[in-house]
Amino acid sequence: MSSQSLYPEGPELEAFVKRRRRLGVVWRSLFLLATTVGVIVLMVLLLTIINDSFGYVALEYKVAPEKMVLAWFEKVMLNAPGVETFEDYDDLAAQIAARDDAVGYLSHAYYQAHADELRLAPIDGVAPDAETVANGSYLLTRPLYIYTSLEALRERGATAAFVGYYLYHVSETIEQVGYFPAPDDAIAQAQRDWREATGLTPETLAENMATSGRVAASGGAAVAPITLAMAEQMQREGFEIEVSVSEKGAAAGFEDFCLGQADVVNAGRAIAFDEEALCRSNRITPVSFQVGLDGMAVVVSRSNHFVDGFTLEELQYALSTAPRWSDVRANWPDKPLLRFIPAPESAAFEVFIDAAFGLEPASHHERVLSALLVDNLPVGVVRRLNREKPLDQRSHDELYQLVVERIIEPTIVQTWSLLESIFEKETIEAAVAQTPRARLEFRSWVNKDFLTSPQSSQPELAGIRTAILGSLWVVLITLLFSVPVGVGAAIYLEEYGSGRWLDQLIETNINNLAGVPSIIYGMLGLAVFVRALEPLTSGQVFGLVDPTTANGRTILSAGLTLGLLILPIIIINAREAIRAVPRAFREASYGLGATKWQTIWYHVLPNAIPGILTGSILAISRAFGETAPLVVVGASTAIFMDPSGPFSKFTTLPIQIYQWTARPQEAFHNLAAATIIVLLTLLLLLNAAAVILRNRHQRSY
Amino acid sequence: MSAKPATNGKYAIEAHNLNVFYGDFQAVRDVNLRIEKNKITALIGPSGCGKSTVLRSFNRMNDLIPTARVHGQVRFHGKNIYDPDVDPVLVRRRIGMVFQKPNPFPKSIYENVAWGAKINGFKGDLDQLVEESLRAAALWDEVKNKLDASGYSLSGGQQQRLCIARAIAVKPDIILMDEPASALDPIATLRIEDLMIELAKNYTIIVVTHNMQQAARVSDYTAFFTVTPDRTGYLEEFGPTSELFTMPKSKVTEDYITGRFG
Repeated sequence: MSSQSLYPEGPELEAFVKRRRRLGVVWRSLFLLATTVGVIVLMVLLLTIINDSFGYVALEYKVAPEKMVLAWFEKVMLNAPGVETFEDYDDLAAQIAARDDAVGYLSHAYYQAHADELRLAPIDGVAPDAETVANGSYLLTRPLYIYTSLEALRERGATAAFVGYYLYHVSETIEQVGYFPAPDDAIAQAQRDWREATGLTPETLAENMATSGRVAASGGAAVAPITLAMAEQMQREGFEIEVSVSEKGAAAGFEDFCLGQADVVNAGRAIAFDEEALCRSNRITPVSFQVGLDGMAVVVSRSNHFVDGFTLEELQYALSTAPRWSDVRANWPDKPLLRFIPAPESAAFEVFIDAAFGLEPASHHERVLSALLVDNLPVGVVRRLNREKPLDQRSHDELYQLVVERIIEPTIVQTWSLLESIFEKETIEAAVAQTPRARLEFRSWVNKDFLTSPQSSQPELAGIRTAILGSLWVVLITLLFSVPVGVGAAIYLEEYGSGRWLDQLIETNINNLAGVPSIIYGMLGLAVFVRALEPLTSGQVFGLVDPTTANGRTILSAGLTLGLLILPIIIINAREAIRAVPRAFREASYGLGATKWQTIWYHVLPNAIPGILTGSILAISRAFGETAPLVVVGASTAIFMDPSGPFSKFTTLPIQIYQWTARPQEAFHNLAAATIIVLLTLLLLLNAAAVILRNRHQRSY
Repeated sequence: MSAKPATNGKYAIEAHNLNVFYGDFQAVRDVNLRIEKNKITALIGPSGCGKSTVLRSFNRMNDLIPTARVHGQVRFHGKNIYDPDVDPVLVRRRIGMVFQKPNPFPKSIYENVAWGAKINGFKGDLDQLVEESLRAAALWDEVKNKLDASGYSLSGGQQQRLCIARAIAVKPDIILMDEPASALDPIATLRIEDLMIELAKNYTIIVVTHNMQQAARVSDYTAFFTVTPDRTGYLEEFGPTSELFTMPKSKVTEDYITGRFG
C-alpha cells in the first residue's frame, strides 16, 4: 500500500512517461543532426573532388593530329609511282576506263554515270548498295552534307526556301542521282533544325514560291549533282529561285562560304575545325544538314579482267605504294599499277584516308609513327632520339608518346570544372571560339594516360605512374617490416607475456605510441633511418648504388618509417584477434598434451588470422594515405624516373596530391583531384579486401 | 579418509593434502582422495565447492590460470605431478579431459580426432585410429560418411562424443570429465552416460556433475564436496556411491543428497 504511493500514478504517470519520451526525441534528433552533418560534409568533399576531376579543357595543338596523319598519307600516296590525281570525276572515270592496269575510286554517283565503262571492286566482299551503305558495313561509306549559315536561313528567303525544299524532297530524288538516302532520323533532324531556324514549315514553304532570288552554292563535286537535281526540280515546280553551283572542292567551297561568297556549301565531309573558326570570325554560324549517303566506289576498267575485289589490306597497298599488280596479289599480272584518284583537296581524298587507314595517330603501326617522327622533327632531334634508343626498337606506346610530346605538343589553355561544364556550356564554347586554334574537349582527368604516364612539369603530359609505383614500393616495405614484427609482438604479449612490470611497461608504451602524431614518426625516421643508418638505407653497404649521389632518402627509409608508425596499430589489432580466440580451443589443445607453441601454431593463429589480416590491411591503408612523415623523411618533389627498388628515390600519391595542390596553375588542381580519386579508389579496394577477408573467414564457433 | 603416500596398483591417481589458491583466495582445502582404476568416480557438491578446481588440478589445467597455486601432492604413477621436474605436457598426455561445453576444433571431424595423435607422434594407421576412437565414442555410424565435415556441423551431443573420441584417441590413462552432459538434452545425456559406463572398462573416469541422479546412475565412487562459510571448498565425504547415497556418514551429505541443502 505504501509502495503504491511512492510511484506516480494516473495522469501524473502519463505525464511523466511523456516527459521521458520527449527527452529521448531530443537526443534522437541531436544524433540524427550529427550524422546528417557528417554525411553532408563527406558528400560535399566528394563532389568537390569529382567536380575538379572532370570537365572541359581548351587545348591547343601545335600540329593537329588528324592533319598530321593526313599530310603523311597524302605524301605517301602522291609520291608513289603511277599516281595521278583528278579534280573532275568524269575525267577520272574516263581515264580509268581507258586503261586495264589502272585502279581508282570515286563517288558513287559518278560510278553509276559511267557504269558501262567501269567495273566495281568489292572490299572484303562487300559492294556498296542501299543496304551495306545504310548499315555502314561498306567501308567507304560517307555522309553527304549541305552547309548553310544560320544567318542566311533567317535573313535570306531564297536560301531558306531552297534548303527547305531540298530537305523535304532529297530522299525521293537522291537514288536517281546515284547516291543513297540519309537515315530517316538524320533527315528528320535536318528538317527540324531547318524549321527551328527559319520558322517555316513545308506547308508555308509555298509562300516563298514567288520569292525570286539567287542562291550561290559552292563546294565539292560529289554533292553538286544532288544540288543541281534539286534546283531543277524546284524550278519545275514553279519556284522562282535561281541556283548557281560551282565545283571547286569542299575546302575551297567552305572558304567561299566563310568569306560570305556562297550561301550553300556542297560537302562530302563535315566542316573542319579551322574552317569553322574562320566562319565564326566572320560572324557566320555554319549549320550542317545531312542529305544523303555515298558509298565511294573502288573501280577498274571493264577491260580489266583479273580484279574481282580487294581485301582491306590489298586496298591499302594498291592505293598507296604497291608498284606492280603482282605485288598486291601474287596471281595478278606482273605489270605496273596505275592509281587514278581524286585530288588531295577533295573531301573524297580525306574520307578515303580516314576510312582505309584511320586519322587517329595512336591507331597506326610503329612504322607509321616512326615515319611521322622522322617527317615532322628536325634531323638533329631524330638523330639524338635514335642515339638514345633506335626508333625501330621502341614500343608503340613510347613512339606514340614521342609523337604527342614532340609533334602534337598539346598545351592546356584553360580548364573548367564539371559543374561549369554542365551549366555554362555555351559561355565556355563562346570563350573558346575567341581563341582560333583552341579546341574544346570534355576530359576525365582520370584516364589511361594519366595512370601510365610518368610525372611531368607540363600538366597535359603529367601522369602518376611514378607516384603509384612509389606508393606500392613504400607500402610493400612497410608491410614486410611491420606485419611480421607486429604479429610477433602481439603473440608474445598475449601468449607469453606474464603481466610482470616489464611486459606492462611495453604494453603501456605501445598503446601510447598508437596516439603519437605521425609527423613525430617522420622526425624519428629522419634521425634514425635517413641519417644514422644512411649507409644501410641508401644501399651503399650493399654496393648497389652510386656512392656520390646516394643518400638515405629512399623507399627503404620511408617504408621503415611508416612501418614504425603503424606497428602499434598492428600489434593492438593482432592482440585483439588473438584474445578473441575462444579459450575452449586452448584448453582442448592442452588437454590432448599439446605444447604451448603447438597450441598457438595450430589453434590460436589459424583462428586469429582473419582478425589479424583485417587489422593489418586497415593499418596498411593508413600508411598508404600518410603524407606528413614522408615529407620529413624526404619524398622527392619532382622525380621522373620510376622507382626500381628499395634504394630508389620516390614520391607517393599523397605527396603528389600535396605538391600539385600547391601549384598556381589550374590544370594541376585538376590533376590533384584526379590523383585523389585514384588514391581513394585504391584505399576503397584495400578496405573492401579487408571486409571480404573478414566475411569469408568468419566462423560460428 | 586418511591417505598413505604408498601407491599400490589399485589406484590411478591420488590427492594428498591438496590445497588450491587463486591469488589470496583459497579455493580448496586439504583434499585427500584416491581414485580407483577403471572405475567411475563422481565429484558432486554445491556450486563453488571446488569440485571442478580439484578435477582440473589432476592434469594441471589450473596452470593456465596465471594466479592459480597448488600446494600438496597429486600422485600419478607414484610421482607427484607438481614436482618441479614434471612436464605438464606429459601429464596431460596421460590424463585427458572433456569439458563442460563441447569444444571441437574448427576443423573436420577426422582432423579433430587425428590431431592429438599427430602432435603426439602417433606411428600407426591414422585412419584406423580415427575409426576406432569414433567407434569407442559411439559416434562412428553417425559420421562415417562425412568425416570431412566440420566438427561444428554436428549436434551438441554428437559434438561432445566427438570430444570424447578426440580424448581417447591419444590413449590416456585417465579421462577427466567436467560436467560433460550439463549442456545437453536428456536423451543426449543418457547416451553420454552409457558411453561413460562402456569406457570405464578401459579407462579410469573422473566426472564432475551437478546432477545427483547422474552420479548415482553411473559412478562407482562418489566424492561429496562442500564449502566452509569463507567459501573454501573441502571434501566432506568419499565412498562407494551406493553407500554414500543410502547411508551417508555425514549429516551435511545427507542434507545435500536429500535436497535439504544446496
